[in-house]
Amino acid sequence: MADGHAPAGAHGFTGPDGTPVGPAPAVRPFLVTAGRVAGTASGRPIPVETQMVATTAGIDALERLSFEQHDIVAACRRPQSLAEIAARLRLHLNVVRVLAEDLRADGQLSVHVPRTDIVRDASVLRRVIDGLRAIPDSRGVLRDSD
Amino acid sequence: MASVPSPTPGGYSVTPTEPAAQGGAVTAERPPLPVKLVIAGGFGVGKTTAVGSISEIEPLTTEAAITEVAAGVDDLSHTPTKTTTTVAMDFGCITIDPTLKLYLFGTPGQDRFGFMWDDLVEGAVGGLVIVDSRRLDDCYAAVDYFEHRGIPFAVALNAFDGTVEHSLDEVRWALDMADQVPVVVFDARERGSVRDALLTVLELALSRTEG
Repeated sequence: MADGHAPAGAHGFTGPDGTPVGPAPAVRPFLVTAGRVAGTASGRPIPVETQMVATTAGIDALERLSFEQHDIVAACRRPQSLAEIAARLRLHLNVVRVLAEDLRADGQLSVHVPRTDIVRDASVLRRVIDGLRAIPDSRGVLRDSD
Repeated sequence: MASVPSPTPGGYSVTPTEPAAQGGAVTAERPPLPVKLVIAGGFGVGKTTAVGSISEIEPLTTEAAITEVAAGVDDLSHTPTKTTTTVAMDFGCITIDPTLKLYLFGTPGQDRFGFMWDDLVEGAVGGLVIVDSRRLDDCYAAVDYFEHRGIPFAVALNAFDGTVEHSLDEVRWALDMADQVPVVVFDARERGSVRDALLTVLELALSRTEG
């Protein structure tokens, strides 16, 4: 969105079933995945907020990795969400899902899928609520004071 | 209150690449537990503005797959035809503490279509439907979706120029919403206002866990 390069809002991408696709950037990455798409054979696709971190082995293997895999591992030197990786590298979410699974299987990426029951636990929600309440509004005034 | 789930460290179920033998992850810290809220609404209603008002990063854009179910007014067969399409999805995040991070995902609703954001909504703790009171139609799909999925959600009227054209009661009536769905007025440009709208959703989600 920052520079207008990403195919934001582009309709017409239809996946790997041979029908016409819209934005060119969506095409080549699926060649990288050898046409595989995420979430078909292995159950549901991992959530967009899934955290990914490069492993030491992944960093060590950087030079041997192909472009997209290289970029993913390099970008995950610090924990990143799946969505952040897709956005920053301008890759389709499902391309990152497939490549991340490969990298995980090879021990180069640690993939942390959040557990829904824990995310929705009352203690977690309370911590988020307390953290949000501490955010001042635009004028630097805390909640309940205006 | 329900018993706390078994305390998997960090709240993750899958850490399949726990390469202790290889020295572990490069970064010393574990990734934070990501908590996800979905922000929905029609085009131009203020989703990206709202995300940008409170996110600690400039909102990023990627594409999410949605499944449109073309069972709209012109479908006489009552046989839903599903098509997958992609929509731009803006998102941002707020670090609560080093172990907890709130993600906000904003995505447009589709006028006249039923649709499913299963790709996006899976695991979300709640939803915020942003409404422009001049264009209520744009939010029906999102309201229907959250109701159908049983996801806690609130409706937030974006007060463009500080005003809304309809009262909260009028909006509630127009949307035919259950009484327990909170309806608030907010200003997507104001961080504190966005924060309070998000708190409405989170407090609703919390009350469900304690229900």
